[in-house]
Parts: sequence; C-alpha cells; structure tokens
Amino acid sequence: MRINAGNLKKGDFIHYQNEIWQVQKAEFYSPGKGSALMKTKLWNVKSGKNIDVTFKSVEEVEVVDVESRLMTFLYKDNENLYFMDEKTFNQYPVLLSSVSGLEKYLKEGDKLYVYLYDERPLSVRAPLSVRLKVVEAEEAVKGDTVSGAKKPVKLETGAVIMAPLFIKVGDVVIVNPETGEYTGREGK
Amino acid sequence: MKIVTKAENLDNHKKYIFILQLIDDFLQKKDYQKIDLPVLSPALIPESYLEVFETEFKFLDKKEKLYLTPSPELFLKRLLAYKIGNCYYLGKSFRNSDPPSSLHSFEFTMLEFYKTGVNYMEIADEVLELLNYIKYQISKIKNTNQKSNIFENQKISFNKWEKISVAEAFEKYAGIFEKELFDHQLFLQKARKKGYQVDKFSYEDIWSQIYVQEIEPHLGKNGYPTLIYDYPKEFAALAKLNSDGQTAQRFEFYINGVELGDCYTELSDWKEQKDRFIKEYLERKQNKKINHPIDKGFIKALKYGFPESAGIAIGVERLAAVFLNLNSINELKVINIE
Repeated sequence: MRINAGNLKKGDFIHYQNEIWQVQKAEFYSPGKGSALMKTKLWNVKSGKNIDVTFKSVEEVEVVDVESRLMTFLYKDNENLYFMDEKTFNQYPVLLSSVSGLEKYLKEGDKLYVYLYDERPLSVRAPLSVRLKVVEAEEAVKGDTVSGAKKPVKLETGAVIMAPLFIKVGDVVIVNPETGEYTGREGK
Repeated sequence: MKIVTKAENLDNHKKYIFILQLIDDFLQKKDYQKIDLPVLSPALIPESYLEVFETEFKFLDKKEKLYLTPSPELFLKRLLAYKIGNCYYLGKSFRNSDPPSSLHSFEFTMLEFYKTGVNYMEIADEVLELLNYIKYQISKIKNTNQKSNIFENQKISFNKWEKISVAEAFEKYAGIFEKELFDHQLFLQKARKKGYQVDKFSYEDIWSQIYVQEIEPHLGKNGYPTLIYDYPKEFAALAKLNSDGQTAQRFEFYINGVELGDCYTELSDWKEQKDRFIKEYLERKQNKKINHPIDKGFIKALKYGFPESAGIAIGVERLAAVFLNLNSINELKVINIE
C-alpha cells in the first residue's frame, strides 16, 4: 500500500531502497522554503542498522504489511536464532545479524514476537526487559560503599553485565536487552 | 490539545528567564533599543511556505481579520526606515505549521535584532559575542545546589565560527558541485541520481530535502558553532543579493545540528522587494495558504529610505536548551500546550 510519508507513524514498516525498515521516529518539519518534510528514523529489520531519512511529506512510500506473531525461542547456532510457532509447530530461523545482540539475553522457551513478511521471518521485537539469574558475581567488599559503583556479573545466558555491588549469585536481575543495562532486581 | 502544568521544570525555567535577562543586558549595553510590538496585525509580509494564525476583531457590527505575527520583521524594519537606529524585539512569534516537537512550537520566543551600517557578517561577530556573554555569565553563577551545571557537558567553544558556504557544504557533505547547485535542471538531475523522488517537485522542495537530510546533521558538530552562508537566491526572502547574482547575503547558524538563527543583509531596494512580495503572494495562493493582506506600508517604508542594515532572528528557547544541555525546548516550560 502506498501512502504519503506525512502519514507515517512510529511502528510502520516500509520498503525503502529495496529493504524493509521499521519507523522508529517520525516528525514533521517545515523548512523555510519548500514543501513540508517528514524526518524519520528507520530501523533495518535485517541488519538492525538505524538511519535518518528525510521524506517530503507528500512523497509516496510503500508501507508493507508485516505481521508480528508470538513464538517460542528454541535454540541458536552461528547464523540463526530458531523460533517455533506454537499453533502450527512451524519453525522459523531469524538471522542473528538482525537482532543486534538480543541473543545474549534469550533463554530457551522465552516467548517473543517475531516479525514476518509473506511468512518469511525478518526479525524479533526486543522485549522491554528480561529477567535472568546471576551465575557468577564477586562478593562485595565490605566498606566499599561508593554509591553507584558497579561490578561485572555473569548471567545464566552467558552474558556479562554491570550490576550494583550488592548483587549476588542466585539473584534474578532485570535487564534491558537492547542496551544490556541493569535496571533492577527481582524481589524475593 | 491540552494545558499541561510542569512545575518540575521550574529550575530549568528560572535559568531560561535568566538567559532572557542576559540577552536584554547584552543588547542594551551595546545601545540597541528594545521595542515592544503588537503580535496581532491586519497585514503581513507574504512568505510562500509559512502558515499563519488568523483571528477576527469584532465590535458591534464591525469585523476585521487579524493575524498573529510570525516574526517582528515587518514592524522593526518600518522603524529602521524612520531612522531609529539599532533595535531589537524579544518576545513571542507564531507559526501555524508543524505539530509541536522537541525543537518546535507554534508559539515561540524570538529575539530579532537589527544593526545599521553593517552587513550580515558583522552581525555574526555580534552573535558570537552574545553567545560568549551568556556562557560567561552563566558560569559565574555556578550554584552548588545544582547537580549538573549549565554548560559543563558542552564541548563547544564560542571563540570562533566554523564558517562554510552553502556551496562548499553541498560539495563536502552531499557531493553536489556548485555548477549543479544553482542550475535547477542539473540540480534535479543530480538529486534523481542520488535516489530522491524528483517528479512533480520544485527545486525548492528538493533543495530543502537534501539540505535537511545531508547537510544539517553535520553543522555545529566540530567543537564550534557553524555559520553556513550565501544561500541560493530562491531562499533569499528579504535578503540582499550578492554580486554573483545567484546567492543572497544570508546565513544560518547551528549548534549540534540544530538551527538557532537566521540572518541577512537587508534588501533595501523597494522595487525588488515589491516584486518578491508579489511572487511570494502568488505562491501562497498556489499553496492554498491563508490569504492575508500584504503589508503595503512596508514597501512604502522602504521607499521612504531604508538604511543599510542587517538583522538576525534567533529562536530563544532552542538557544536556552543548548546552554542548559536539554534535549527538548519543552523541558524549559512550566506551562505547556501539548
């Protein structure tokens, strides 16, 4: 479906330069002269790359119908992450390159939305947060009370993140999988 | 839209108010006369792409259309023609175009100042001094209560401009050569080759698109504010043309990719101004903009004898956001319409 770029909104998928992109940000902008523009930030569903593109607001862009379907994460190899649609039991490989590091925070059995275009998997929608168990962490040294100080801890998926000094082995921490940032600890 | 109260922004707002004071201090020390002006006017300068707010005065059976001024230019330049000398306005202006965003609001605070007997580059020197003055005064009031101090994280110096002409910028950042930049046909051909949708669009449309996409993101990012100057005559507005006949004496300045001000050497030739007004007026009609009357008194004022002068318009909220290290002008506001 072709629409004017002025109608684009966050979350839309479009065809641009023979690839599929998701609109991350879309803002109107009127230059001093010349027709109104639509400044967008686009995310490439394959490479995970972000680019800024300025469209004329009345310029036509091709919006594509991308479906997001809840699936279960099965396993990964060197190239792909494998997901299963629980209704059909069909398996879908998603290129590792398209998830920009998200794989470090995924556990077998996690449920995520997979983006599909014409039944072809494009990418995965990163969850806002994941909860993972700490498997390795140095003991906090007594008296080390500098607020905001952090230490590296290893999570059950193998990822290493920076967490506050009070985090211990066995704690479940909450992590933003897009940035790898510690955002909290699960209450016991 | 709704009225949003944001008392939590009071601290930023106080600093913003302080910056307004600093601007007054600086200009008054330099003998600029502050002028208070109407924001409702029965006629405006026609600008082809700029939409305005329209309202109506009603008294008994009398009705008259009025328009919120998109800039104080029409008033200040009349006064210049009456030889009042260096002057400025610091107050609200209104533009009825884009939805509000982090850098834009339909109602905003504008500083516009004019100096006689100078050209645009001399205004640039004045602006740099103003920026340094604000930075210095702010650094003096460092308050221990304030966590992140104004400007602490800004790695920008106001000791000089990074100056680049529009033609140099298009070559450097977009690979478009001077010959192609000013020739409409060559320019559109080049744009098509670069992958832009060109059909049914004007030179101005495509030029602006490439400017925003490929030039602006680089400006004001090398440790100094960038002054980009000499725009094609199609973007001259009320600026005087250079002797090359294809560029206007106009500059804009940027910090961190954000446009903060627009300056030009004022066009004083009333005949040429009249021709440009008519052209802009017709373009407004074609673009289906609100059909406001042209301010004919402005042309009369030019005829009366307009002094050599240059002036600049600066978006004060944007400027304050830069000094306060904020991502959005909305963080300056305690009451906002959203």
